[in-house]
Amino acid sequence: MRNLLWSATLATSALVALSTHLVRADEELKIGVVAAESGSFVSAGNTIVAAANLATKQINEAGGIKIGGKTYKIKLYIRDNRTDVNVTIAAARELVDDIGVKAIWGTETLDFSVSMAKITAAAKVLQFSGNSSLGAVLDDKSVAPGGWLHYTFQTEPQEWQRSGSTAKGVLTLLTPLMPHPPKHSIVFVGNDATGQYLSSHYVKALEAEGQQVDLVKYPPDTTDFSPLLTRIKGMNPDIVHFWYNGDSTLTAFPQALKLDVAPAYFLFGVDPGIYQERQLKSDKPVALSCVPVCWGAAPNPAVQDYFKKYFELGAAKGPQSSVSLLYYDYFFMYAKALEEVGSLDNPDAVVDAILKMKYQGVVSPVPLTFNPHHQVTFATEVSAVQPGTSDQFKAAVEQPPAAPPPGDPGG
Amino acid sequence: MQIFIQQLVNSLSVASVTILIGIGITLIFGLAGIVNFAHGEFLMVGGMITWFLVNSGVNFFVALAGAMIFVGALGFVAERGLFRFTLDRPMNGFIMSIGLSVILQHLVIRVFNEVQKTIPDPVGKVWLVGGVNIIAMRAIVVGLTAAVVAITYFGISRSRYGMALRASIADPDTAALMGIPVRRYVTGVFVYGSVLAGLGGSLMIALFPITPFTGSVVIIRGFAVSLIGGLGNVGGAVVGGLILGLVDGLSAGYGLPEWTDAYALVVMIVILIVRPQGLLGGTLGPRATG
Repeated sequence: MRNLLWSATLATSALVALSTHLVRADEELKIGVVAAESGSFVSAGNTIVAAANLATKQINEAGGIKIGGKTYKIKLYIRDNRTDVNVTIAAARELVDDIGVKAIWGTETLDFSVSMAKITAAAKVLQFSGNSSLGAVLDDKSVAPGGWLHYTFQTEPQEWQRSGSTAKGVLTLLTPLMPHPPKHSIVFVGNDATGQYLSSHYVKALEAEGQQVDLVKYPPDTTDFSPLLTRIKGMNPDIVHFWYNGDSTLTAFPQALKLDVAPAYFLFGVDPGIYQERQLKSDKPVALSCVPVCWGAAPNPAVQDYFKKYFELGAAKGPQSSVSLLYYDYFFMYAKALEEVGSLDNPDAVVDAILKMKYQGVVSPVPLTFNPHHQVTFATEVSAVQPGTSDQFKAAVEQPPAAPPPGDPGG
Repeated sequence: MQIFIQQLVNSLSVASVTILIGIGITLIFGLAGIVNFAHGEFLMVGGMITWFLVNSGVNFFVALAGAMIFVGALGFVAERGLFRFTLDRPMNGFIMSIGLSVILQHLVIRVFNEVQKTIPDPVGKVWLVGGVNIIAMRAIVVGLTAAVVAITYFGISRSRYGMALRASIADPDTAALMGIPVRRYVTGVFVYGSVLAGLGGSLMIALFPITPFTGSVVIIRGFAVSLIGGLGNVGGAVVGGLILGLVDGLSAGYGLPEWTDAYALVVMIVILIVRPQGLLGGTLGPRATG
C-alpha cells in the first residue's frame, strides 16, 4: 500500500512538473490595441481591431513566437478609445502601466497617436500607427534614442509618396478614357485637419503631373453636396478628385453624377467592392483608390487571400476595410524582430531590428522597409472602372516618386 | 444664370428635409413641451429601417410607410416610458434625450454595424429643363413635404383636435377641466412628430447615405429651424427651413464653401436676436405641463 501511495505521489509530481513545463512553453506576449469601436471613427477603428485579431490568430495557430528558447502566444488587450483623445490616453496608460504590454497598435488619427506616443515612449513600448500625417513630427531628433518617437513606427507611407503614387495612377488610367488629355483638376476635400494636410500634398502631386489645380473644401459631415458640386460644375473641371474621406465621397459622387459636374472623376478611399455593391454606374470615366490596397479588386493573390480570411472572421465590408492592411503586416514584422533579438526586454534592439528588416508582407509586392524616420514606403493601388459598368476594373500600382514634388516640403 | 437656378432648385429639396425635421421638433418642443434631443436619432432609425426593408426587397414607398410606423411606435414607447416622467422637469427630459440618442446610435451599430448605409435612387430619373438638372426623387421629396405641411397646418389650425391641442397648450388646467385629455394630446403630438422623423429619415436615405451618427448632425438644424420660425408654429418651420436651405445653397455656391454651415447658423443667431419669438411667433417652449 505504501509503495502504491509513493508511486502515486511520484506520478502526480511528474504530471505537475510536466504541466508546469507545458504552461511555460506557452508564455504570453501582451500586445495592446487602441482603436475606435464606437464614436465617429468606428469605421476605421474596427478595421484595426479586425486586422489585429487576424494576425494574432494566424501567429498563434502557427505555433507562436520563439523568443530566447521560449514560445510566446500573443494575447491582445483591445481598448475602445470611443473616438475620444482622453479615453485614448487613459487606455494607453492602462495598457502600459497596469497590463504591461510590449507594443501597442493604433490609432485612427494623428492627434490620438501622438498623445499615445508620449506614454509609450516613456515606458519603451513600441507603437505602430497608420497615420501618414505622423511625418510632420517624425524627424532626426524625435526618432533618435531618447527621442519621444523612438519607439513609434508610421505604418502608412509618407503623404507625398502616397499622393505621388496616387496622382500618377489616376492620370495614367483616366487619360486614355477621356476625349482630350485632362488639364484642369479640382480637388474636393473635407475641411478638417486631416483633409487640409492630405490635400496640400495631393495638390502638389497633381501639379507635378502638369495639372492646373483648384481646391474646394467642404465642411466635415456634409451630406448635401449639390450646392458645392454645382459651383464646381461652373468652374469647368476636367477631373474632380474626391479626396480623402471615403464615406463623404460615396455621398457626394452620386450627386455629382446626377448634376453632370465633370467629364471624369477620381474617388479616393472608395473600394471597387463598395462601388460594385452599391451598383454605382457612370458613363464618365471613374478612377478609385484605396488606402492602401483594394479588397474589391485585389491586385495579387496574397491580398485576395488576406481579405478572404479577414472577412471570414466577421469584419464588415466597408469603404475603410482596406485600412486594416496598414496594421496587419507589422504584427509579423514585430514578431520576427523579437525572434531575432531573442528577448522581450530589449525594446531598443527590437527597434534596431525592425529598422534593418526587409519584410515581404501582404500590402506590397515590394518588401516593406522603414526609413530612418520610422516611416514605411509602399505604393497605393488605383483602379479605373469601365464606363457604364459597376464591376469591370483595371488596376494600376504606380510606385511612389523618389522625392517630394516641387513646393512640397515632404514630411 | 443656369448655375444660379440650379442652386435654387438644389436648395428647395434640402430645405424640404430640414422642414420635416423642423416640424417634428417644433411640435414636440413647442407644443408638447419636451426637448427631445434624440429626435435626430429617430430620423436616423427611420432611415435605417428603410435601408433594411429596401435591402430585403421591399418597395421604397412601402418601406417608407414601414419606417413611419416603426418610428411612430418608438416615439410612443419613448414618450410613455421616459418623457412622461419628466414633463414637469423639462431639463431632466433634455438630459434623458441626450442619453437616449447615444443609446440609439449604439443599438443601431450593434444591430446593423457602423458602416454608412445607402439605397439605390428609388426613382432614378433626372430631367434636364433649360440646362438645369432636376432630380426626380428630390422633386418627390419637395411634393411630399408640401403635403405634410398642408396636412399638419390644417390639422392644427382647423380641426377639432387641433383646437383642443391649442387649448391644452394655452391653459392645460382649464383644458383638462373641459374634458380634454391633455396627457393623451402630449403623447399624440410626440408620436406624430416621431412619425415625421421616420418620414424624414426615409426621404433622407433616398437622397443621401446615412450613418448611425447622422442624427446628431441634423438635430442642430432641426432646432435652428423651429426656433427661427417660432416654436410650435408649423408655418414658421417652413419659413425657417426655406431660409436655411437657401442660405446653405447660395453660400456654398457663392461664398466661402468651407463656411457653409456657419452662414446658416449666423443667420439663425441674427434672427433670434432681432426676433426672439421667431419670425412668425410661437410658444415659449418647454414648461411644466400639469
